[in-house]
Amino acid sequence: MEATIEVQGLRKQFGQTVAVDDLSFTVIPGQVTGFVGPNGAGKSTTMRVLLGLDSADAGRALIGGRAYSALRRPLTQVGALLDAAAVHPSRRGRDHLLWLAHTHGLPTRRVDELLETVGLGSAGRRRAGGYSLGMRQRLGIAAALLGDPPVLLFDEPVNGLDPEGIRWIRGFLRALAREGRAVLVSSHLMSELEDSADHLVVIGRGRLVADTPVAELLAAASGDRVALRTSDRTRAMAVLAREGATVAANGKESLSVTGLPAERITALLAAGGVPFSEVSAHRATLEEAYMELTRDAVEFQATDTQASEPRAAASQASESQASEFRAATGDGDMR
Amino acid sequence: MSAPVRTAPYRSQLPPARDGFGQLLHAEWTKLRTVPRWGLVLLSAMVVTVLVSVLAVSGSSVGGGGPAAPVGPDGNAVKDTMQLVHERLPGDGSITARVSGLKGLKAPRPDGGRAGGPPAVNTGKTPGWTKAGIIIKANTKSGSSYAAVVLTHGHGVRMQWDYTHDLAGSATRPDEDRWLRLVRKGDVLTGYESADGKDWRRVGSVRPAGLTGTVEAGVFTAAAPNTKVERAFGGTSIAEGPGRATAHFDELAVNGGEGGRRQATIGRPAARDTVPAVDLASGSFELRGSGDVGPLQTDTDITRQTLSGAMIGLIPLSALGVLFITAEYRRGMIRTTLTASPRRGRLLAAKAIVLGGVTFVAGLIGAVLSFQLGEPIMRRNGHKPPRWPELSLTDGPVLRAVIGTAALLAVISVLALALGALLRHTAAAITLIVVMLVLPQILISGLPLGAAHALMRATPLAGFAIQDAIARYDHAAAVCLPEEGCYPQGPWAGFAVLCVYAAAALGLAIWRLRRRDV
Repeated sequence: MEATIEVQGLRKQFGQTVAVDDLSFTVIPGQVTGFVGPNGAGKSTTMRVLLGLDSADAGRALIGGRAYSALRRPLTQVGALLDAAAVHPSRRGRDHLLWLAHTHGLPTRRVDELLETVGLGSAGRRRAGGYSLGMRQRLGIAAALLGDPPVLLFDEPVNGLDPEGIRWIRGFLRALAREGRAVLVSSHLMSELEDSADHLVVIGRGRLVADTPVAELLAAASGDRVALRTSDRTRAMAVLAREGATVAANGKESLSVTGLPAERITALLAAGGVPFSEVSAHRATLEEAYMELTRDAVEFQATDTQASEPRAAASQASESQASEFRAATGDGDMR
Repeated sequence: MSAPVRTAPYRSQLPPARDGFGQLLHAEWTKLRTVPRWGLVLLSAMVVTVLVSVLAVSGSSVGGGGPAAPVGPDGNAVKDTMQLVHERLPGDGSITARVSGLKGLKAPRPDGGRAGGPPAVNTGKTPGWTKAGIIIKANTKSGSSYAAVVLTHGHGVRMQWDYTHDLAGSATRPDEDRWLRLVRKGDVLTGYESADGKDWRRVGSVRPAGLTGTVEAGVFTAAAPNTKVERAFGGTSIAEGPGRATAHFDELAVNGGEGGRRQATIGRPAARDTVPAVDLASGSFELRGSGDVGPLQTDTDITRQTLSGAMIGLIPLSALGVLFITAEYRRGMIRTTLTASPRRGRLLAAKAIVLGGVTFVAGLIGAVLSFQLGEPIMRRNGHKPPRWPELSLTDGPVLRAVIGTAALLAVISVLALALGALLRHTAAAITLIVVMLVLPQILISGLPLGAAHALMRATPLAGFAIQDAIARYDHAAAVCLPEEGCYPQGPWAGFAVLCVYAAAALGLAIWRLRRRDV
């Protein structure tokens, strides 16, 4: 089986509410794909459709080219963590994994092995009702890994983990991807995916906002600005402007330079004998990039609470507003 | 943040997995056994069943009074009271007679009409099993072996022998004439009937247990008891008194008989009726009789009474059935379950099998203990042979009742599972199952008999018919009272009704689960 997740034109409606609207994206093996969007954006619905729990109203959600219901021995093909709280509180953690292992005839030692892997070794003997949220997340991750599947889906796995746990899971996700697995990790907080996701699928109100490698997204958000600190502002501006850079003064001693890489700036200043204390390329955080990306969508959401057909994608916000305007003035039917 | 690296697709090093139905059963069993509380529920179901059963039989006693019932050829108590005109038949031969004008008479007072005794019971209707006809009987002692061809008031011509056996002949009305003939050849007796004395139709050939050597051949009249039942919430009053009937016989001929016809009263009738002065030899006379011939239908089913705790034991088992599925919905674990086994129909089937198996075992332990502990208590409380024959766990009917009780509890828990899957709500599903099984129990004690019987046939309660362990005879003219544990249908027919409920609910649950988002 090819370890991919393909979502094509997926639509899912609950009553009048459109949870997922014409969503398409692909998750490839060998990298961690972050699945980001605010709460209620349709991440969990998409995952439930992928797992055959909910039926799609339109479009396809395939794993390795097949619908979930057509998978043989599904636990060996896809591992999923949907809701860490989904364990019977009076069952021991180990027993929870045990019944799951039995559905696929997996040996008991696989259960014990995974308890060690996720760091629940001795806690496996305790009732799941007494677990902290972090322990439940670890138990859920162990459950997803039981069948050693090439495709993994984690819905908000970082929720409730302590900093140590967050660090552990980031490394763990990367390691899983490095083994050649396709890993889809959802989160409503972009910062949680910092340092772990290689690729991002951003959705808002059920629609795709962005489908981009993390590196590209960050580069776009960072631009090529370089921050410069110097005691001789005037000379620095003159030297750099002569080489074609755009220089803006931010403060008494600090400048923002665009159009030249940091190394070139250092060389020019040194050659011109201009004193400087700091030259640093500005690097946007993922959170900033995300805010940049969704700014329009967020503004749109704030003003468009009554929209009959919610559209959150930034690129379509203005078009949507225009169409609503047309509808309101009575010639919407003529589109 | 590294750039996407394309690596070789992941290949698991695990040994190959299997996800067949066997694995699914194993997984569901693991689920069931790893919640300690559920084990306690099972245990409590067993304890409650045994405890309630023992308490119920401890409170049941029977007084010693009344004359001992005669004992039939098979050692069980029988009813054998009639008015007989007979002569000896030493070897092979036959008896022929025409019977006409069978009708019920005003009932006599019980206890032979002694002043101050209980009043006569008159219903204005002649009981259907009032009968008159020809008989060949081992001797004139009450309880002896016999074969008879009779015209009944409500059930046409019948051939009956040795109390418990009954064969149907033509559907002759009681006001019609009927010729009857009984032929003895060796130990085989063959009954015939005819409308005109020329064209004879065979009713049946039978071999009663004790008709050897010299026997008595004759004609008799017997009347089934009059029964009046009044039911209301809080109590049932049942009045039963002897009936009385008369019939006219003529063309009486005994082939191979010794002659010397005599009249005899068999048993202890309520009223000593005399034959009006006619010439017995002429073979044309009116014969009045009271009292009945047939099996003595016992009103206490010892086996059922010892198993009565199942009525309460079903409550924890239903709760377990409901919880086995609603606990998954409550925590969202159903999603984990369905990702591991996406074929939802198979999943519910596996749950039903595991639950049914476990509750069957618990029910069986409870039922066996209940019977083994309760039966000696019933004996100590006065339920003794021959009225209440010896029972053993290995007797067919007892075994059916005991294993049937376990099966009954298993099917009820599966029904509860199906309701839980349909309603997805623990309290609602438990309430519904209890209402389905307990409400009819309350209603039947107060409704008129017809409505009570309808409920017992149509609700899941019908399944409890499987606990019937006493023989019930259609021709015994007993009133089937729910409070005496009598179900209006056979044990298997009743159990089938419950199974239909469970199968329908499970089918519906599977159908719904397949169509729903979870």
